Amino acid sequence: MTGRADETTPVNSHAKIPFGFLRLVEGPQTMGRGWPFWTGFAIVILLAFLAPTYFGIRPYRVNEFIVSGFLAASLSILWGYAGILSLGQAAFFGVGGYVFGIIGINLFDATGNTHLALAGGILAPTVFAAFVGAIMFFARLKGVYIAILMLVLSLLLETFMLQTADPEVYRIGEALLGGANGLRPASDIPSVAFGWGEAVAEINGRREGFYYFALTLLIVVYLGLRMLLNSSFGYLLVAVREDPDRTETFGYDVRLIQLAVFCLSAALAGLAGSLDTARINRVDPELVFSVSANIMVVIWVAVGGRKDLTTAILGAITLEWLYLWLTTSGSPEYATLVMGGILVAAMLIAPEGVFVWIGNRLGRLFGRSRTPAAKAAEARQ
Amino acid sequence: MTAPAAKTAAHGRPILEIRNVTKDFGGVRATDDLSLAIAPGELHCMIGPNGAGKSTFFKLLMGTIRPTKGEILFNGEDITRLPPHQRARRGLGIKFQNMQVYSELTVFQNFFIPLRRNHKPSAMPGLVADILDRIHLSGLEDELVRNLSHGQQQWLSIGMSIALEPKVLLLDEPAAGMGRDETQSTAEIIKSLNAEGMTIIVIEHDMEFIRNLSSRTSVLHLGALFAQGSYEEIETDDDVRKIYLGKV
Repeated sequence: MTGRADETTPVNSHAKIPFGFLRLVEGPQTMGRGWPFWTGFAIVILLAFLAPTYFGIRPYRVNEFIVSGFLAASLSILWGYAGILSLGQAAFFGVGGYVFGIIGINLFDATGNTHLALAGGILAPTVFAAFVGAIMFFARLKGVYIAILMLVLSLLLETFMLQTADPEVYRIGEALLGGANGLRPASDIPSVAFGWGEAVAEINGRREGFYYFALTLLIVVYLGLRMLLNSSFGYLLVAVREDPDRTETFGYDVRLIQLAVFCLSAALAGLAGSLDTARINRVDPELVFSVSANIMVVIWVAVGGRKDLTTAILGAITLEWLYLWLTTSGSPEYATLVMGGILVAAMLIAPEGVFVWIGNRLGRLFGRSRTPAAKAAEARQ
Repeated sequence: MTAPAAKTAAHGRPILEIRNVTKDFGGVRATDDLSLAIAPGELHCMIGPNGAGKSTFFKLLMGTIRPTKGEILFNGEDITRLPPHQRARRGLGIKFQNMQVYSELTVFQNFFIPLRRNHKPSAMPGLVADILDRIHLSGLEDELVRNLSHGQQQWLSIGMSIALEPKVLLLDEPAAGMGRDETQSTAEIIKSLNAEGMTIIVIEHDMEFIRNLSSRTSVLHLGALFAQGSYEEIETDDDVRKIYLGKV
């Protein structure tokens, strides 16, 4: 993109918002604006921070939901905003998770922190996405071909990683890839740790500390993405989704825009993968590269509402919570069936997403305008 | 001879020159050794029966497909191998045959994409109001494009192409699916843009519409240039009537 206009300039010229910060995070590409939304947002965040102390939630499990939020955000910007469906989003999640673990095993004892592991866990899938994306987008692949190619890529990674059990061959420094058992030695996979020397804060993935850390990071990433999506870059993503050929005739190299969002999406998925490996000190091929790992991401985002960041994240957290509740409430054998039923029902009743549907009604209640996509969805109904 | 045609003689170098362009799709020759020169400021119409290769010609000009043989020059530069976005940056604007608007965005937001490359967001409301005035859509900034009529969406699509400030504007069936009044308005929009100095090439089926534009006209048949001249010359050409108008 070579536009002369500032890439982060808010473009919602018609909005009249009093606070500078709100002006940056609000806009036509994201649902929710004005005091009703941000008051509700503040209350939800407050309750979330109080939850471990006052509502007795178990961080070990809830931490997983928060990590899912990052992964859902990564697919939402790619599929919902830029119109590129990937059925292999977990591939980047997995690459991030493995790289975090491999660097962590090798360097944690020496450095005492996981700065490089985290950076590697984000950078490796980004570089991988740049390579794969450049081939796909410059070959002008689109639609279902990209979706299938990404799923195949993830399954290839799974197949490869499953046959890496030989410790003599598949070893990177101290780290053994470990085949189906996953990265080893598992006891050496660190949690996230920041700082140098004596001043190191290690955050145990199964405790409250990780919950507060991941939740804070998710809020920061969420607000950052809202700024990006409401900038002119966000507009370009929607334009590419709506009509890539037309966008090209306006002088934009659509392939570069697609590649940029693909890399950003991979970076976010890599962050999610790194956090997940740190959370449970474990990463194995079935957990991160399998069909079910990939499809779950699509279900979260589709049910929540792919075309909006907030609804996609809410979809992931809610469905993960529901799935946990179903599997631990006496009839786990029905859990998957119920989840499938929810997907079908959601697609029939609220094809744009359950939370988009709810958001529209709340928006009407408070008389606030909604996303153009939501308005259009209503117009169709 | 119309006024724009007179400009052809006045200017030495054509703004757009198509030299012996051929395009084959497998065994089908969609464009056959086509040569054409468009002068700066000219309004040029292209007609021809279905399958004559009109839309293929525009796709070749815009770069969504590449010719099998021949070359295309824009302002003297060979653009034959350039991708569409590079051609757009050099000043080629197009409205393809199908509706090309972002239907899930508002009218104002539709203009953001073409305007963004050359203008700051703060300047956009004024620019959009100006363009909307020129395409008969004043005051519809905040309307969701999906709610506009078919004709209004066609005008919006033309307006979005104007927003690029193109040197040459390609319009593929700008009056398709419009009623008589809307067709008349579309012809007025095109003539006023041309009067402002914009070079415009129009593909159209509607002969009434072409008559209204009354400009130099090329007839395509089986991918090749069949005839060229003023509308009156074309209308009275017996061979053209045979292949296109179905009259003897």
